[in-house]
Formats: sequence, C-alpha cells, structure tokens
Amino acid sequence: MIPVAIDKLNIKELPAPPGGALEVVRACGLEHTNAKLLSEKVAKSPTLALDILRISNSAYFGFPGEITSIPHAVTLIGQSALRNMALCIAIKETLKPDQLPAFPVADYWEAALRRAVCCQCLAEEVGQDGDSGFSAGLLQDFGLLVLFYLNATCTSEWPRLAKLNPDDRYDLELQLFGTTHDKVGYLLAEAWKLPDELKIALGHHHESPPDDTPAGAVEICKLTQCTDWMSSVFTAEDRRKSITMSRSLLSDYYGMDAAKSDEMLDRLGGRITQAASAFGIEVGEQIPFDSLIREANLNLLEENISFQEMTWHLEHTIEEKDRIATELNRELELAREVQRSLLPDESQKFDGLVGLNVSAKAVSGDFFDYYKLQSGQTAFCIADVSGKGMNAALMMAKVSSLFHFLGKSIQDPSRLLGMLNREILETSIRGMFVTMVAGVYDPATRRVRLANAGHLPSVMMRGAQMVGAYPAKAPPLGIMPGVGYTAEEFQLENDSSLYLFTDGLMDERQLDGRRSDIDGLVEVFARHSRTAPTERLQHIVADVRVDNNKTGDDITILLIED
Amino acid sequence: MYPVKENGGYSVVHLTGEVDLNCSPEARRVILDCLRSNNPLLIDLSAVTYIDSSGIASLVEGYQVSRKLNLDFGLVGVSDRAMSVLHLARLDQVFPIFASVEERLKRDLPREE
Repeated sequence: MIPVAIDKLNIKELPAPPGGALEVVRACGLEHTNAKLLSEKVAKSPTLALDILRISNSAYFGFPGEITSIPHAVTLIGQSALRNMALCIAIKETLKPDQLPAFPVADYWEAALRRAVCCQCLAEEVGQDGDSGFSAGLLQDFGLLVLFYLNATCTSEWPRLAKLNPDDRYDLELQLFGTTHDKVGYLLAEAWKLPDELKIALGHHHESPPDDTPAGAVEICKLTQCTDWMSSVFTAEDRRKSITMSRSLLSDYYGMDAAKSDEMLDRLGGRITQAASAFGIEVGEQIPFDSLIREANLNLLEENISFQEMTWHLEHTIEEKDRIATELNRELELAREVQRSLLPDESQKFDGLVGLNVSAKAVSGDFFDYYKLQSGQTAFCIADVSGKGMNAALMMAKVSSLFHFLGKSIQDPSRLLGMLNREILETSIRGMFVTMVAGVYDPATRRVRLANAGHLPSVMMRGAQMVGAYPAKAPPLGIMPGVGYTAEEFQLENDSSLYLFTDGLMDERQLDGRRSDIDGLVEVFARHSRTAPTERLQHIVADVRVDNNKTGDDITILLIED
Repeated sequence: MYPVKENGGYSVVHLTGEVDLNCSPEARRVILDCLRSNNPLLIDLSAVTYIDSSGIASLVEGYQVSRKLNLDFGLVGVSDRAMSVLHLARLDQVFPIFASVEERLKRDLPREE
C-alpha cells in the first residue's frame, strides 16, 4: 500500500458530489437567502426534491399533516435542516457502495449519523445551533471514507479502525494512509466550497483551530471534538476510556457533570434510530447507554479483581517463601547436626588434642578430626574445603569420612594424602579443592609426623615464642593427580604446643607477601599461652574475631599439647 | 564483568579487585566461556587485590578443564597479594605462572606439568 501524502492529494481525485444537492447546501449558507430561492434550487433536481419531501414527512420532524410541496417543506423545516438534508443526500450520492467494493458503507453511515445526532444534541444542550452541529458531525469523518476510496486495498483495515478511540484511530490512519481524515476532510470542504465554519470543523476537530478562527467556528470545533469521543463510546473496544474522556471534555468545555454527560449519551440511541429512518440510512440496533456503562464498569471490576488476585498471589508467594525458608532452616539444622557428629567432642581433651570449630553459616567447609589408632597413636587432621555453603559442607562430609576410614589403615600421612587426593579428584566438581594437614601423634614418645597439602603452616609454640612452622610443600587435594606429599617428623617437647588452624583465623585481606600474617596470630597464641587448652582456643577465636573484625568465615583450630 | 582480550592466539582474562565468594561465579563464567571457544587461556592477575578459596577454585576449574580440552593455560602478572595466597597453598606448583603475556609467548611450547 502506498500512503497518500496530503500534499500529493489531488483535488480532482476527490469524488465529485451531485451538483444539485451541493447547490442547495451552498444556497443555505448565503446571507440573503430565502425560501423561494431555496425551493427553486431544490426543484432543479427531481430526485433531491423527492428525498426532501420524504424526509420532511418522516417521524424525525414530526410535522402534523402531509407536506406535499417543496416550498412548504422548505418553509417548515427551515434553512439549516434543509442544508443537512442536502448534505446527507450529497454525500450519499457521492460515494455509493459500488464505488467502494468490500467496504461496509452501511457501518460507516451508521457511525456518521451517530456523530451527526450526537453533535446536534450537544449543540442544543449548550445553546448552539443544532442543525449546524448535525452537519459538522455528519461530515467530520467523511475524509476517512475518501481515504478508503483512494486506497481500496486498505478496506480490510476498517474493522480495526472502527474499534479504536479517536486518538488511537488517528495514529493508525497516519500509519495506514500517511495522512488523516481531518486533513482530507478539509481539502474536500474546500473543493466542495462548503461554508467556512464547516470547513474549519472538518479540519480542526483533532488539532486546535488557528488563532484567527472566528469564535463561532471555534465552538463547532469543540463540539466535533466532543462528538468524536462521545460517539466512540458506542463503538470503541475500550469503552471506559471513551466514557472517561467524554466526561472530561464536556466538563472542561461546558462545565457539565458526569451525570449530565451520561444522560446525553443515553439519549443518543433513540435519536439515531429516528434520524436513520428519516434519511433512509440503515442502522443496527442501538445498544442502550446503561448497558454500555455496565459493561465498562464490569471491565473496571475485572481489572480490580485481577489486582486483588495479584495481591493475593503476592501474599501467597510470600507465605510460600516463608514456608520454604522455614523448611530450609530445618534442613540446615539437620545438616549442621550431621556435621557436628563428624567432629570430635570439643569439650574433651583427648590424648593431648583439643579442637574448636566455629562455623560462620549453619554448615561449614572446615573440619578437624582425631581418633585413637590400634597402635596407641592418635591420627589427626585439619582441613578446609574451598568455597562456602552447602557444596563445601557436603564435600567436608565426604572428606572427613574418607579420613576417618582410610586413616585407620594408612598411617603414613603422605600416603594418606596421596590416597585422599585420588579419591577427591575422582568426584570433585567446579574446581573444588581441599587443603589439609594430616598426621599421627604418639603420646608415648611425643613424636609428631604430619604432611601438609596446600594448608596454612602448622605452628609450634614454646610458651610465648614460635619455635617452628610447617608450611605446605605440595598443593591441595583434588586439583591434580600424581602429587607427591612428603611427611615431616618432629618432637613435641613437653613445654611446647602445636597449633593447626584454618584461614578463618587469619585476616587474609591483609596478606601482602611482606609481613606474614602468622606473626599477628602468633601474638594471639602467646597472649593466651598460660590458659588451659580448651578455654585457650575459645579465647583465641574471640580475640581474632575482634582483631580482624570479621565473623563471616569458618574458624577451626586444633591444638596438640601434653 | 572481567575483560577478555586476544593476544598472540591466547584469550587473556583480566581478573581485578577482590575475587571472593561474590565475584568468583563471574570469574568462573568468563574463564569457562573462553575455554568453550577452544582458546588457549591466560589469566592476568596483576590487578587482583585479594583472592579467596572460591576465587582459587575458579582458577583450578579453568586449569582442570583446559587440561581435559588439551588447551594451554597459565597465570600471568600475578600480583604480590595473589602470589602470597598461591604460594602459601603451593598452588604455584600447579599453575604455570609467567611474568607477562609476552613472557609466555617467548616460550614455544606449553609448559609441561
């Protein structure tokens, strides 16, 4: 489809009206016109004369007795009504259904008539000339019919246009035709030499008329603008918007309240049926306004219901969320219990070993363990799973079980770490890894043998002095196969203590490669060196939390001291 | 969002700032995306001010995936802070580490583990 730009629109392309009817329209607009002159003009066209007689005798005018002559009709109905009749006849003759095949001309007429009647009622209501209103209303959309006449391929768009409110329809016209009915209507009024005030009303019922427009014409523009919205109440899909907009315009322009504008809309149906029969136009059954408003209110109600439903859903979702959170917390509590069960009892010192685990979350990726071997030695370990949360906790459960089980048969820490590395590698996902110190302590000889897989150094303290550190010599478990772990063996003197700990105890963000953060930790160990082991660990953890101002990490510490 | 640049046939991922539990999922995504495009990968750690075990896990996963795909992988320009973490855990024995991308390019073959 090629839109017709308004500047390219050729007046000659516009449909030509029947001369007789148009002459009557023009004669009605003359200042010094009279019944005799008008009767002569009407009489020139026999079909026009017949139509006018028929309409004058219709119930629309309701004159008593039969009108049989043109001068009689012209005198009775008056100049303005005659103009309306002539206009109606003129445009009906101009675009006959066969010129617009596949276009529902009857629908268009019904809509045009509704506007005419609506504009007439409104004009009368606000003390203006009803017949002028009728003409303006009748013609205000004629430009659209012409657009369809010029763009026959767009005919299929009519049902879509007919359902829109004036603003949306205006936009769609622009999209479909490249111009709008008011522009074309204005051109047509010019071509047909229609009276100025009509021309201005046709051209300016969407946009304001120019500043120098005579007051009378401005009033008609207002009437037609209101009419557009009022008549869309009967056709638009979104009736509520049309009703709201009509009320608002009528209130702005004429100070009408909602009840008044509704009452006027209510009157339209009957008047349309009357006018249709008078002008020989077929119209469908007019839907009573109260049904329309009920429907619009129902839509509003539906929207309110949807809003209520939404609120309900939201409340429901929040409840659901709370329920899931409670359930999750319960699950977490269970997981924490299971984890606790994997750790040795912290309250009891066991063959010189004591440990403490404080998890930042419900579950922890840290752990320590110790247990008696058949040989009388004690197996011990401390480990930290990378990351936090449930995946770390599950990995911790696996690794601690492996240690607990394998450690009983593999007493060489380096071999044990090698075995653990293989086991963890097999199932590790997402790059998860485990740092661990595993060892064996012999309480009888006070010998310690340990191996470190990527874990922080174990620190030996004598009183307040650090006398040894055993850093990792090989990377963590679960990263790569075939890592050789080497064990170290040393004597734990009777005035010495061995501290194993996880990174929750160190302020890693301070770690910069120059000052070993372990120095800071050693100070904390030294501070509490005289306290009994179980309490000491609690004091150390408490101090570290204050010093580092952090509570977000799991903290685990294991102490060997006899 | 960590920038990725192409250099000498390598994708170079630039990790920056604190690579902790909050940022490591994004680091992981960027690293794995590069490997999915079958590019050898270098990870620039020169602007890393802190890296925690979850950040290290992203590097480890990148390392493991690159080995499976037989793609070259390495760390370049490792900042002091990141290096102290890597060194403490002996991860410097795991990752091929180079002073810079250029340094890596000077070597002809990927470093054998």
